[in-house]
Amino acid sequence: MATTEVAAKTGAVSVQNVVKVYQRDSQQITVLDGLSLEVPQGEFLALMGPSGSGKTTLLNLIAGIDSATSGKVVVAGTDLTPLSEGELAKWRSRNVGFIFQFYNLIPVLNAVENVELPLLLSHLSSKERRERALTALRIVGLADRSKHYPRQLSGGQEQRVAIARAIVTDPSVLVADEPTGDLDSKSAEEILDLMQTFNKEFGKTIVMVTHDPRAASRAHTQRHLEKGVLTT
Amino acid sequence: MKFAPLVLKHLRKNWIRTLSTVLAMSVCIFLICVLQTVIAAVNFGLNAGSTRRLVVRDYVSLANNLPMSYKQKIAGIPGVTDTTIVSWFGGVYRDPKNFFANLAVEPEAFLRIYPEVMLPPDQKATWLSDVRGAIIGRKLAQRFGWKIGDHVQLESFIPPYRVGKPFDFVVDGIYDTDEARYPGTDLSSMYFNFKYLYEATGQRVGIGTLTAQIDDPSRAGAMSKTIDETFDNSDNPTKTETEQAFRASFVALAGNLALLLNVIGMAVAFTILLVTANTMSIAVRERQQEIAVLKTLGFPSMLVMTLILSEALLLGLMGGLLGILFARGMIAVLVNVPFLGDILRSFPSLGLSPQIASLGIGMALLLGLLAGFIPAILAYRARITEALRQV
Repeated sequence: MATTEVAAKTGAVSVQNVVKVYQRDSQQITVLDGLSLEVPQGEFLALMGPSGSGKTTLLNLIAGIDSATSGKVVVAGTDLTPLSEGELAKWRSRNVGFIFQFYNLIPVLNAVENVELPLLLSHLSSKERRERALTALRIVGLADRSKHYPRQLSGGQEQRVAIARAIVTDPSVLVADEPTGDLDSKSAEEILDLMQTFNKEFGKTIVMVTHDPRAASRAHTQRHLEKGVLTT
Repeated sequence: MKFAPLVLKHLRKNWIRTLSTVLAMSVCIFLICVLQTVIAAVNFGLNAGSTRRLVVRDYVSLANNLPMSYKQKIAGIPGVTDTTIVSWFGGVYRDPKNFFANLAVEPEAFLRIYPEVMLPPDQKATWLSDVRGAIIGRKLAQRFGWKIGDHVQLESFIPPYRVGKPFDFVVDGIYDTDEARYPGTDLSSMYFNFKYLYEATGQRVGIGTLTAQIDDPSRAGAMSKTIDETFDNSDNPTKTETEQAFRASFVALAGNLALLLNVIGMAVAFTILLVTANTMSIAVRERQQEIAVLKTLGFPSMLVMTLILSEALLLGLMGGLLGILFARGMIAVLVNVPFLGDILRSFPSLGLSPQIASLGIGMALLLGLLAGFIPAILAYRARITEALRQV
């Protein structure tokens, strides 16, 4: 991976002239069409746009869970374009935290076990893993719910557990796909407060996809996508 | 090991599905182990026969006796070194449920030809001098609690041997064997003096079977042919075969029985495989989203695949262990079932051997592996973006 590391001069995220084409049956669908985007270190960016505009696809490319058809994606100093699936998995486990719209907690694991999950890929001892997971839960204000299973938590609490899981490996970049999309307004505010805290106090670079203008207003920058092209 | 809780918790979450899969698997392993044990016991008994011993019997049926004069004629054939009469008496002890083999033999010749039947010298001397004496195997003695000097009364169900009252035998010896030298020796039979049977029936009975010891086992085929040719044109032609072949025919199509039992076992195993594979596929399909999340968190595809396979293997292991427990229990119960148990007990070494238990565990793990293979491959190939879109 060392050969693909790039000095982070251009910022936390650099998307350069990226094209993403999906093959659906015999049809080719261009989702991103020569898109370029720079996100400086410590930025809180909101990506907005109508459904099908390519927001989630762009987020997936930045998170390293999908690869571009052409162009270059550099995140946290690493050019993701030439990486194999295995290398991308390893990179994701260290550099990026993912927050989903529907939390995506593992139902058979309790809160602290869910948060601990990414640490299973590290060389930490079981005690260290548990301590770090509890610390992450404390940060999101759920230390007292550590033994609760997802079904025993409210939507807002589940999302906070998901955020704790996203930050427990201390990644430099957080990507969030509609993190408040499934929450009531009060819980949504709490989640956005948390994200702002991580951005301001811990210097995390956040790229958030949202439809909600109120959520987008919490970001430093808002960019709009339409038909695979950034319009603003 | 750090991933073990993840695997175990998934199995525990759907405990009904886990339990039913484990039970299905255990039934399969149970059947395979029981069938293999019975086959092994039958084969063990068959292979225990000596290659130096030929069994001569009536060509038409075992129910027909051979004339007494045949003994001398056979003994005189070059290559035959010794002979003894071995006649199935068919004696019943109190109740037909108390079945055990009891045979009339010529004690001196019998002990020479069957060195695996081992008696202490004093018991041997007593038996050789006692016409009404009988020797019994250690297992038979244990079964009925018989001791030296006990009187045992048997009444035969074979018409020529029925004399209006039971035969009274005295237990002169309890024979044992050297398991290392003579594995598979039957210790559940009773042998008594043919002379007693012959005299008590008014010297009217003939030879049930005659065991002929030969000097060269490699000539068993030729010797059998020679013996049979000697009586070709007589009123009682003979059928001569090695002791192993005789036992095989006695166990009634043992080879085909083994094949049939194996086919049944394999059919059951294949059915269980399909059921388990289906269960695993459903379990994995339900977890597409979770698999995508694990991969998003950085779990390599190979690790995700391994977790799914581990789950399947664990199901297999649990099913295998449970199946072996069932099999052990069943074998213990079977030998106490009236009649069936008597037949099974007549096979030496009927018990779940470590080899068959290992085979059961191996089969269970293989079934688990095969059942989990396709779901694991699907998990390996699952694309994160597509799986997440299914939410």
